[in-house]
Amino acid sequence: MNGSRKSGLVALALVLVFFASWEAAVRFFGVPVYILPSPSRTFVTLATNPEMYLQASALTLGESLAGLLIGVLTGGLLAILLTLLPGLEGGVMTLAILMKSTPLVAIAPLLTIWLGFGVVPKIVITALMTFFPVLVNVLSGLQHVDPALTDLFHSWNASRWEVFRHLRLPTALPFLFAALKISAPLALIGAVVAEWTGASGGLGRTMWLAYTNLNLPYLFAAIFILAAGGMSLFRLLGWLERKVVFWLPDSRES
Amino acid sequence: MNIQVESLTHIFANSKPQRTALAEINFEVKSGQFVALIGPSGCGKSTLLRLAGDLLQPTRGRIALDGREPAEMRAAHEIAWMAQSPALLPWLDARQNVALAQRFMPTNRHPRLTVDQVLERVGLSDAAGAFPFTLSGGMQQRLALARLLALEASLWLMDEPFAALDEISRERLTTELLDLWQPLHPTVLWVTHNIYEALRLADRILVFSPSPGRIAADLTIDLPRPRSEADPRFQQTLAALRAALGSTVTAQVAQ
Repeated sequence: MNGSRKSGLVALALVLVFFASWEAAVRFFGVPVYILPSPSRTFVTLATNPEMYLQASALTLGESLAGLLIGVLTGGLLAILLTLLPGLEGGVMTLAILMKSTPLVAIAPLLTIWLGFGVVPKIVITALMTFFPVLVNVLSGLQHVDPALTDLFHSWNASRWEVFRHLRLPTALPFLFAALKISAPLALIGAVVAEWTGASGGLGRTMWLAYTNLNLPYLFAAIFILAAGGMSLFRLLGWLERKVVFWLPDSRES
Repeated sequence: MNIQVESLTHIFANSKPQRTALAEINFEVKSGQFVALIGPSGCGKSTLLRLAGDLLQPTRGRIALDGREPAEMRAAHEIAWMAQSPALLPWLDARQNVALAQRFMPTNRHPRLTVDQVLERVGLSDAAGAFPFTLSGGMQQRLALARLLALEASLWLMDEPFAALDEISRERLTTELLDLWQPLHPTVLWVTHNIYEALRLADRILVFSPSPGRIAADLTIDLPRPRSEADPRFQQTLAALRAALGSTVTAQVAQ
């Protein structure tokens, strides 16, 4: 048995133990369903409303991915721009940090007022949440080039663009993946928070409706989907990372 | 390529206290000569190499390569650089690493050796498709050597290229380097800490004294290659080199 399969089994076992204790506790103490539904009850809710959850998840996932794409592109391109024009770095980073420090929970309702109940404010919030880790990571990736390699490219009389294309960009790739692994789960949170503050669909809307009706099995079903979705995104990125940045020690072992 | 160094001084103004790495250095190197630069740490020998390679601009004085500025020679791809770290691009395989170096050559200069021929010369034909992380330290440095060859430059600047290797790989690569150098006969400036390496390789050894860096001795080694330590003349030169190095150390202690 190889290492990754073994750790997968351990994770599965832990999740099962967690669900089993939860189920046992709810049954043993007779916890009412409006306080904490059992996992079995939650899964039954999920299974009896597949269409509703599928639709809501598709919408939320779509908003998250669209926002993530915009956030990654903006963060990545801004990092490239700051590498090529280092004079701008101080000013732009101050602005970015200012924006990052503003609580998104406060901005989300404003965006709903300005942009309506459609998908646009969700995508904007998600993009705002995801762009910062990408900017910071990719920027430091583009700047942390091995000086021995810079010397070598200089001795080859390579132009700034060639250094960028053949050296800085590939050096930044592992940093981009590190950023994506932070940003992708954030994207789901961003979309759900935005939906919670006013939406015509999506998992956030489902959760909000369930919450206001104290229909906790519905709420928990949505939470399960989000947890599974976030983990799947993270795993997918890990797999992609091993394929793309294959030269890193982490990628080689598995 | 011949080298003329005239009252070359380099001061690192930004380091505190201000450090004079090289003070009023003068020497000449004939085209095709293999010159070892040896001396204790901080004697400015690496700085000299960087100045020759246009990786650094001198504070005063000048280096002329065939009468021209190092910057011109670098732009003409006449200078090949190799350092202690193999500096391979980890995302490129052996063949691509060598090919990348040739890619930046001016279009009017067609390399005489193909990438595969270069790899064959350093004994890496079987590893042409291998990525650097699958190669041992010795193999990686051999690949860096292949890349150096592929440039077909007339000046090789080598900053302790084999210093990080184990003794066995080091001996072997040193011998192979001589075999590669002899038919092409570029001028070589070879920075080293290793007395035996200098004696086995060089036509001439410049001994540097530290802070500020000056040339303390200039030894010519007129022995046929391959050189053997058993040769009494090798031992004589060794003694002379030790004496020259010893005086730089006493000078340092006296300061």
